[in-house]
Amino acid sequence: MSAPAIDVRALRVQFGAVEALRRLDLSVPPGGATALVGRNGAGKSTTMRVLAGVVPPTDGEAFVDGHDLRRDALLAKRASGYCPDVGGLVPRATPWEHLQLAARLRRLEPGWERGARDLLERFDLGAAANRVTSGFSHGMARRMSVVLAAFHRPRVLLLDEPFDGVDPLGAEATLQVITDARNCGAAVLVSTHLLELAVAACDEAVVLRGGVVVGAAPAQELGGEAGARTYRSMLA
Amino acid sequence: MAEARRAAGDVRPLVEFRLARLRGRSRRVAWVAGVVVVVSTLAAATAPAFVSSAAESAAARDVKVLLPTAYLAFLLTTTLAIIAAAGGRELLPRAHGISFPISPTTDHLGALMLAPLNIAWILQAWSLMGVTAYVVAPSSLWTAQLSTLGWIFFATAFGQLVAWCVEWLRRLPGGVHVVRAVGALLVAGAVVLVMTGRVTDLLDRSPVVSLVLAALAGGSDPGAWALGTAALLACGLLAVAAGACVAHAVARRQPREEMYADVAVVASRVNPRSELQALVRLDRASVWRSVALRRGFAVLALMPGAIAAAGRLEWAMLPVLPGLVAAGGALLFGVNAWALDGVGALWRDSLPVRPQLVFAARVWVLGEVLLIATALTLVVAGLRAEGLPTSAELAAPVATLVVVSLQVVARSMHWSVRRPFAMDLTSARATPAPPLAMVGYSAHLALTSTLTGMVFSTTAQADGPRWALLLAVPFVLAAVRRLLITSREWATPEVHGRVIATVASR
Repeated sequence: MSAPAIDVRALRVQFGAVEALRRLDLSVPPGGATALVGRNGAGKSTTMRVLAGVVPPTDGEAFVDGHDLRRDALLAKRASGYCPDVGGLVPRATPWEHLQLAARLRRLEPGWERGARDLLERFDLGAAANRVTSGFSHGMARRMSVVLAAFHRPRVLLLDEPFDGVDPLGAEATLQVITDARNCGAAVLVSTHLLELAVAACDEAVVLRGGVVVGAAPAQELGGEAGARTYRSMLA
Repeated sequence: MAEARRAAGDVRPLVEFRLARLRGRSRRVAWVAGVVVVVSTLAAATAPAFVSSAAESAAARDVKVLLPTAYLAFLLTTTLAIIAAAGGRELLPRAHGISFPISPTTDHLGALMLAPLNIAWILQAWSLMGVTAYVVAPSSLWTAQLSTLGWIFFATAFGQLVAWCVEWLRRLPGGVHVVRAVGALLVAGAVVLVMTGRVTDLLDRSPVVSLVLAALAGGSDPGAWALGTAALLACGLLAVAAGACVAHAVARRQPREEMYADVAVVASRVNPRSELQALVRLDRASVWRSVALRRGFAVLALMPGAIAAAGRLEWAMLPVLPGLVAAGGALLFGVNAWALDGVGALWRDSLPVRPQLVFAARVWVLGEVLLIATALTLVVAGLRAEGLPTSAELAAPVATLVVVSLQVVARSMHWSVRRPFAMDLTSARATPAPPLAMVGYSAHLALTSTLTGMVFSTTAQADGPRWALLLAVPFVLAAVRRLLITSREWATPEVHGRVIATVASR
């Protein structure tokens, strides 16, 4: 069995007096997709931010594609693509400028532009590629954040609330991105409140409450009415 | 009328809401600053009057002649400051206030209340009171100062009214071009007046002269004083009421310039050749595509230089200018430089790049904004400075330009890392930090950079440029040292994680 692409052990994150994560354990194998679900404030976005290298762990260990986030944050960032839960776009820059910056910092080979344009078209953003993003709707910004997370084909794809406020076509495009990433052997971690989409996108689901994992199950088990009841019982 | 009373009543809870966000050390600092301002105001308003025989001295007579000009200058700069801020500061930033039923009248009264939270306004008000105290006899002090306060109130209310009118005009179809054309015409008119030497005549005929004379006549002619002061207060109140009406008209129109900026299409450029170029390019876009920053920059780069040119400042005095301009430039965005990324900060921080390089790019962009503004100011001021400069007189402002720009960049980046704020810079009325923090920043920057400028102005009298250049060395080294320390601090994951989480929050 291959080593997990996302490997979190006894992770703890503290902001002042608030303990956002308390000894969290989590792992996602290459080619696997795990949904992080739970109520507001459960610690989903904090987990994502730690794995994206934006928030340092207070205690515990976190590895992304085998890179220790404490020691090799830069290597971990090179291996991952991150769609943050809020905004995610620099207000006065255009989508193409975002892509150019990311491509340069990720040292992408010449020719990356073609794949990026294709992805923009799939997310219906081709016509807005040179428009500043401050005028984007919430859904457009979400879709663009997914494009930015995925266009360089990362080995670890971190999507925080990628379906939030996105229309059905955008949600389908996001599901396709997740499938493509998995087919290329990437590990995908999706944080969402939309249980049905989590079931559609992932094969595992991890339920967080108060910064700890309170349950884990095959995603299919959380589908339908019976799954929703199981989920609610985990949150209670 | 009931609606106006209700709108005025809404100001208090909004102020309390803002003040409630001051906690711990910030609250203590605000109290101390408040006490310092009150004590300094009382000192400025009274102390000069007790300088021995000041009122009868030749110096006092000279100052008395210039007093109407000082009063007019206060009116002009206050008005321009509020125009540049698209109607002044907001009690609650637009993004936060959007879900509250805040009336335009409340917004107008809030902007009026916050207008004094500006170091330029405070310093000029102190100067007016100080100069007035210097030229009147102690027996007439209180009557004269009441008139001065009346003038300060009127000038602020009038400036706010004019700023709303300009903002209303800007929001009409083609209004931005009209405002620019009118601004250009006014500047051209001022240039003609200055070049033809008719400024003094115009100032002598200004109604402000009779107002000032009435204010100073408090002891000898109580009737004229009472009439003049009552007229000022009445005009001030009228301006407040008219400002509220225009604020309503402004609120009914869309901010066209900001809306166009939100949907602007920018031609794509070739891919950046280096990481630094990629970072700098995006940072530059964040600065120059912001309506608030462009407006602020235009006023800052041209106004101090134009005033210096109109007054034919001597070459030896030019080193004072770069400090003021650099301090003003930092207040556009530099004191909270990471807020430029707004909600995009989280994504940017997830990119694989050394934090030190990100820091260097931000320093580069802030530095070039300050250098361009200060250089433009010096060029404009130098156009009419008296005579040809000596090599020392030329070296002094150039050395000051480099030194204060570096000093201000170093200090701003230090604050940006230590005290980040979640501020939305998309609105033309946006500031990079809350009002009280802005007062503290502006006071600090104005004081240090003006002192540096004064130190360098002494080298303009030297027998060559080497003294200015030699003096610059320790200042430059100190600023570079501070930048390196801040860069190291920024590179700590805990520190930049906190900064990014703060500026990206909404």
